[in-house]
Amino acid sequence: MQSDSIFFLLALITIVSSIVMISAHRPIDSALSFIVTLVSIAALFALVNATFLFVVQIIIYAGAILSLILFIIMFLNIKDENLPDERYKNYWLLGTSLIVAPFSFILIDLILRSNIALKAQISEEFGTIKDVGLTLFDKWILPFELVSILLLVALIGAVILSKKEA
Amino acid sequence: MNTVLILLPLVLTLLYSLATVPVLVWMERRIAALIQDRLGPNRCHINGIRLGGIIQSIADMMKLVFKEEFLPSHIKNRFYYLVAPSLAFMSAFLTFMVIPYADTLTINEQSYSMQALPTDLGVLWFLAFAGLGVYGIILGGWASHNKYAILGAIRASAQVIGYEVAMGLSLVSILITYGTISLNEMVSYQTQSFFIFPAWGLFIQPLASIIFIVTAFAETNRAPFDAAEGESEIVAGYHTEYGAMKFGLYFVAEYIAMAASGALIVTIFLGGYQLPYLNTSELINNFELILWGIIAFAIVTSLLFLRWMKQHNIFAMSGLDETKIYTTVVIGFTIFAILVMSYYALGFGDANEVGVMLLQFAVFTIKLFFLHFVFIWVRWTLPRFRYDQTQKLGWNILLPLSLANIFITAIVVVGVNYGN
Repeated sequence: MQSDSIFFLLALITIVSSIVMISAHRPIDSALSFIVTLVSIAALFALVNATFLFVVQIIIYAGAILSLILFIIMFLNIKDENLPDERYKNYWLLGTSLIVAPFSFILIDLILRSNIALKAQISEEFGTIKDVGLTLFDKWILPFELVSILLLVALIGAVILSKKEA
Repeated sequence: MNTVLILLPLVLTLLYSLATVPVLVWMERRIAALIQDRLGPNRCHINGIRLGGIIQSIADMMKLVFKEEFLPSHIKNRFYYLVAPSLAFMSAFLTFMVIPYADTLTINEQSYSMQALPTDLGVLWFLAFAGLGVYGIILGGWASHNKYAILGAIRASAQVIGYEVAMGLSLVSILITYGTISLNEMVSYQTQSFFIFPAWGLFIQPLASIIFIVTAFAETNRAPFDAAEGESEIVAGYHTEYGAMKFGLYFVAEYIAMAASGALIVTIFLGGYQLPYLNTSELINNFELILWGIIAFAIVTSLLFLRWMKQHNIFAMSGLDETKIYTTVVIGFTIFAILVMSYYALGFGDANEVGVMLLQFAVFTIKLFFLHFVFIWVRWTLPRFRYDQTQKLGWNILLPLSLANIFITAIVVVGVNYGN
């Protein structure tokens, strides 16, 4: 009961802040409400005992990536007259959400019908750093290495691009 | 009893973070004065009681609280402007939640964790909320709508982001050595001995501890890395436009962040709450012997303190006779403490677990205040780095060094465990 009410509160914060993120006019408002979204998603992870995901979400998304984005927004020094005129934005948002609505209905229906671990018993270890590490390096070693190669490529690309300009 | 033991670490967190701030301000001023060969604040008093100058910090705090709340009229984003200092404060405060103040206490087969938040996330929790602290600075600088403030905020956030990388990598080698991320297990690892030294992180991982301590200075924006508030270049940096208690929150947040990184350094590199070589069960078994040692120590130190005070506390004040009152208090407290301790030392009562817990609190506090002293000592000894030098040190020296350290550590750990 208690965790249910916490869940609903967090879900509400997540949904509201993500709507604000999409509909905000100024980039800094979007970025800041995105931080709220990420932190509340991290809290949702903590609620289901995925402590490692919780802390990694905060360190990487909320701590590192978003602070770089904010940093860039501050550097650009965007003034109000530089922002695009978004007169029909709300109509666009309404229209697209009407188009997407049936698909999301199908998705919710699918989740409710399937029996993905909704009633499964999980061990005490679930979601801790040791458990995640063992699963990652045991079962999913190939995808993990592929993702790290992808990241390496992006890293080298960033270095080369910044060298070219200098 | 149950509730008390659960609330105890939370209360201690408040004491170590919020309540130490006036003491830290006092330490900062008196140690600065000591280094610069002057006296420092010592005149402020309440009817003759000066407490060595602590009354001055209390007066300063009162000033900040009762100052007029002033909102500059050019600020457009009031919400961000107002929320920024509290973000800085909250994230600094939350980093404190995972520090263990004593070993897990077991009474009647029920164990109580002496961390404010009984989680095993340890170091990762600290990194997460230390990273969130940047937002307070970025937002404050941006919302102030002032060139100096935004320059300070950019400096501070670039510095924190850059040094976080080196900090995280130096922690990785520590994690490889200890084989755990839980701070409590790290402390119990450090009760072993390493050749003749205690197996403290400082002796096992000297390079990582130096890197970590340097990055901790940079993360908390303290001298020599305080170019973000370099008053000769950019006024006061990101809190130029802040006054009264809004500035006070930034000010307190900085001290709490310093206390939290000091506590983490104590826990990871200086053996935490443990005395060197001794683990908790040994302490519990030989508690009577240790009590006698503490009694002897208390007598000697209070006698030395009284003699020192008689010679040095000679400043003439109106009001009560300060020296006389302190002498009575010190003698009374020492006698009371000795009576209580000898009651247990002679074996009349059995409270070894609680006694050891109190001893560990004391050890932790002494180590923490030593670290505070080091922080202040460095601030008043080293000149400020130029801003590009700060970045160069972080990216060109500390980052490669910590990477090399991970490599060496991994080789050594694999080599030692080879064949097991």
